[in-house]
Order: sequence, then structure tokens, then C-alpha cells
Amino acid sequence: MSSKIAKTNVRTHRSVIVIAQEESKLKAIKLREQKGTLNVLWAKSSEDNEANWQDFAAKCGLSAKPTAFKGANSDKAVVIGFNSAGVAFYRISAPAVGKEETASIIKLQAETRMPLPAEQMEMAWRADQMRNGQVGFIVAAARKKPLEEFLGNVRNFEPTKILLDCEGVTKAWKTFFCGNEKRAVVVNMTARNTQVCLAEDGRLCNAMVLDIGMEDLAAEGEEGQMQTSERFIQDMRSVLELFGNAEQAELPVFLLSDGNATHVNIVSSLRSAGLNARVALADVKGLRTSNEIGVDGIYEYRVPIGLGLMAFETSKNELNIFEHIYRPTSKKEKKHWIYSPKIACGIAAVMLVLSLVVFCGVDIASPGAIEKHLKASASDADLNSLMQRQKLIKSVAQQRPDLLELLGQISASGEKGIKLESFHFKKGQPVTITGEAPGNEQLYKFEKNLQDRKNINSVKMNPSRDAKTKKIKFTITFHYRNFTKK
Amino acid sequence: MIEKLSQKDIRTLKIGAVCVAAIIVFVFANDWFDYWKKARTSLAELNNKLELIDVDKAKQSGLISIVPKFEMPIEAEDQKFLFVDKLTEQFKKAGIKNQPLKVASTGKSKQAGYQLLRMKCSATCRLTQALDLLANLKDNPYLVGIEELRLRIDKKKPQEVDMDLTVSTFVK
Repeated sequence: MSSKIAKTNVRTHRSVIVIAQEESKLKAIKLREQKGTLNVLWAKSSEDNEANWQDFAAKCGLSAKPTAFKGANSDKAVVIGFNSAGVAFYRISAPAVGKEETASIIKLQAETRMPLPAEQMEMAWRADQMRNGQVGFIVAAARKKPLEEFLGNVRNFEPTKILLDCEGVTKAWKTFFCGNEKRAVVVNMTARNTQVCLAEDGRLCNAMVLDIGMEDLAAEGEEGQMQTSERFIQDMRSVLELFGNAEQAELPVFLLSDGNATHVNIVSSLRSAGLNARVALADVKGLRTSNEIGVDGIYEYRVPIGLGLMAFETSKNELNIFEHIYRPTSKKEKKHWIYSPKIACGIAAVMLVLSLVVFCGVDIASPGAIEKHLKASASDADLNSLMQRQKLIKSVAQQRPDLLELLGQISASGEKGIKLESFHFKKGQPVTITGEAPGNEQLYKFEKNLQDRKNINSVKMNPSRDAKTKKIKFTITFHYRNFTKK
Repeated sequence: MIEKLSQKDIRTLKIGAVCVAAIIVFVFANDWFDYWKKARTSLAELNNKLELIDVDKAKQSGLISIVPKFEMPIEAEDQKFLFVDKLTEQFKKAGIKNQPLKVASTGKSKQAGYQLLRMKCSATCRLTQALDLLANLKDNPYLVGIEELRLRIDKKKPQEVDMDLTVSTFVK
């Protein structure tokens, strides 16, 4: 059985404290899941008629101060069971359509069945099996006000989940009462009430609460007992009809039991009335309990145990009628230390210091390394003469005009008919050329061409007309690179 | 021990530790900063040296195209003799009959430790010969540069030019 738990459930919490109310009594249990085995660490119950949530929670080690609790119980879940006596369950069928469409269909159908306007009600639903192209839904609905009052009692413990106790009954039956049947009715009898749950594949798919309990059935007086028993059988028949079972003899009915004789009698009565009733005894294999609690106590705490089992499941497929009015405080996810801002700043600071050390280290070590390398390549004398030679070559290159290039540029700029008479270059003075041009047009073109040359600039022209030849004599000055500038 | 300390004590200890660290850093940082500054200066000097020696290929080929041959300057008399000798050879090679080279001036140069000796000469030749000479002058390993060049075309003989040339060399 324990291996079954391990296979089907993915645990989110290592331990869970469950508190559920059974009539006028509060019952709590602490469970721990370890290597597929469920350990009952402790179980507590309040005295009859002393169902004070605050006091009982304090006895269970739950602080009413939210902050104190959060810090101390980071991996512990708290689950509260809500008595489903005030919850109505409906079965609804809807075609297999999208999520939003399904929601509106279910709401619409459920609202027609609910006794109060929708704004005064809270509801939750869950899909189960598909039949003839229709998806079956279980809808749980309850008045908003009692839910809010209940929340007022339990909100301070910041419960991780608030679950319907009939879901816990079904879960406990499936796990610890050999609930292997695909479809069965589970009867959970308390002193004054009886929960009748229809389970399919181990999940609740309908429920009803009868106001007949053990006290009524075990009442003194044979006649009275007979009458109560008949009423109970009649109620059970009605419930089974309501669950949609015409063939009542076929549907197994399990009465959760600790082996009490009254349970056996009730089952006998049901069987004699034609129902397929059986006693379901607890099978506690795989459930470790302390000596204090004992195996007998497991029946007593069947509802909290069932709810605890549900708390270990990761699937959020429970009927949560508190969904819109209570949101559990989400515990901060424990982030990896690498994402801590302090660590990040520390790493950044260390990297900055390292970068500075490396930067300075390179600066300090480089001169020595370069000198060593230079000494290895050449002696000091060679090195100095090499540097001196290189310096002089650079200086010569800077002082050496390429006059052949200059003459070539002047020649290339000349227009047809232009005759050069002289050329004069001297460092620190503008270059001067004189000559003769046939006309102004050629002369200006010549000037423009010179101006466009890459290394020639500040071209100035001084033309004059020769009276004898009628030709234009000119003198042009310009600068060549930086050689002719002072 | 540390569990007994209050939050205030822990904060005081942290601030104290930061102050101690700051004092230590301040004491050592000054000396260290000077040392680092010296290292930086020394590195800059060495980098300059390296830059002089280790000229990149493009720059080096540019230098070679302008100064294909170069001899380190020597004492003035020897340098002058070698320079004149090479120049005369180059004139001859160009087929120019020049007048004797004369010292035009000796003055300061931009290079510390060297003077600039200017030599002047005149010649009459064809323009092509003058251009040939100009093209070959850079092969003179003692030449620094052409200081002055004057070309005048003879109106009667347009193929001939009167050339005045002043060239320079480094001398010690």
C-alpha cells in the first residue's frame, strides 16, 4: 500500500498537519511522508463540544501569528478539512468543449439547481469520466457566508489547502480500506451523521449527508432501533437512486468500520434490504504509527489521514470551494544561492579587484619583459644605433620633397598652348612658375587644374598681357605639401 | 559566541571591519600608486622605443620608397667628401656637365647632434637629363633633401634648361 502512495503521489511537502472537524470535535494529525511510507507523527483531538479552532491550533503547535509560523515551518503544510454537511453536490454533463465554454455551461446549469442566487454561493467543479461524448462533472456548492465564517476561524494558520472532508473520506477508503472497486459507495458514519460518498476510480463523484448516526442506530429500545434502521435503509435507497443507480444490488456499499458490532448490524440490515453492503476494515500496512496512537486510532483519524494524503499530491484537482475567497500565502521559492544579490555583488567586487590587479600587474611586469626581450634581441649599443638610424631615416623622409612628382603634376595640369619658362622651388617659400598662355581660358583652366591637385594648394596667379605677342605672361605661386610653408 | 551578539553588535563589527580595510588600503595604496605610476612611465618610454624600431610593414615600405638608401652621417669633412663624390657620379650618370659643387651654408638641423650642410651647383642640360638626375638623387645615401631647385628654359633652345640645385646632407 505504501508503494502505491509512492507511485501515484508526487510530494510537495515533507510533512503535513491536518485538522478536521467531526461534529463537535476537532481532530488533528501530523503526517510525514518518507521513502514511500506514511508516518503518523502524532494525533490529537479536542474534547467533545470544545471545537475552538484557535485553542486547538495552538495545541497543535500552529501559531496564530502568520509570520512566526511561516519562518518556523517552511516545508510543512497545514490542511484544514471543511465539513461537507453544508455542501450540496450536483452531477452535470456537458459536451467536450473548450475550458471557458465548459465553465460557462457548468455555471449556467449549476445556477438553475442552486437554492440561492449565484452571488450568495461559492462553487467548484471537477471533470471525471466521459460517457457517450458527454463529460461528467461533479459540482460542489455552498453558501458563501458560512464559508467566510469558517475562514475567519482558520485564516490565521495560513492553511495550504482547505479541503472537503468527504474527499478525505474517499481518499482514506481508497488507500487504507482496500478501496479497489472502480465504482462504489463509501459510507462514513459518525455519532449523529452519515456521509454517503459515491467514488469512481477512487475519487469522489457525488456525496450526500444523512442526519442519522451511530447514536441513533445504537439507541435503546428494539422498536425505536427498528424504526431508525428502516429509515436509514430508506434514506440509503433514496441516496443511491439520487446517485443514478437503478440496480442497487450491483453497486457495492462500503461502511468504514473499526470492527464495531453496530457497524456489522447496520451492514446486515442493508444486505437484508437487498443492498450489496460490506464492512470496510482499515488495513494499515505501510502506515507507521507511534505506540501512543496505535492501529486502532487510525479509524478514528480516517478523515484527517485522507486529507493529509491529498495534501501530498501535487495535482490540484480537488474541489476547492474556497478558491475565490481564500488564496493561500504563497511561500517564497527558495532560490539558488547564485541568484542572491549579495553573492552577485560579492562576485562582481572580486572580479573588479582581480581585473585591477591584473591590469596593474601587466603594467608593472611589462617594462621588465620588454627590456628583457630587447636585450635578448640586440645589445644596448646596437639598439641605440638602430633607433638613431630609424630616427634619422624618418627625419630625412620628412625633409625630402619629391620634385619629380611635383614637376609631373605641373606638366599634367598644363592646357594646350601653355608654355612654361621657369620653375623655382625653395624650402620655406612658395613654388613659383612662370610662362606664357595663348588666352585667359587656358590660363584659368591651368590654374584650376593645379588647384585640384592633391599636394598643391593656395594657388595664386598674376597674369599680364604682352603687348608685342598679344599672349598672356603669367606667374603662378603655390604651396607644395609642407615644404614651402614657413 | 556569534549567536550571542545582537544585530547592532554585528553591524558595528561589520562597519569596523570595513574601516580597518579602508585604512589598510589607504596606507598601502599611496606607495603602490606611485610605484604603478613609475611603471606606467617606464612602459610608455619603452613603447616609444619599440615604435621606433618596430615600424609596421606599410610604414616601413613607405619610408623605403622615399629613402631607399641611407648611410649614417660621419664627421663633416668625410661626409662632405663622400656626398660630393656621390653627387658628381650621379651628375655624370645623368650626362650633365655641372659646375663644381660649392658649400652654400652649414646650419642647424632638426636632428640633435647633427648639422645640415648645404651644397650648391649650377648646370646647363637638357630637361630630360635634369629629370633623370632628380629621379636618381634619392639613391644618394648621404642626401637629406633638395633644398632649392631653379629651372629656366632657354627661349632660343627650348630643349635646354639652366639648373641651379642646392642639396643637403647631415654632418656630425
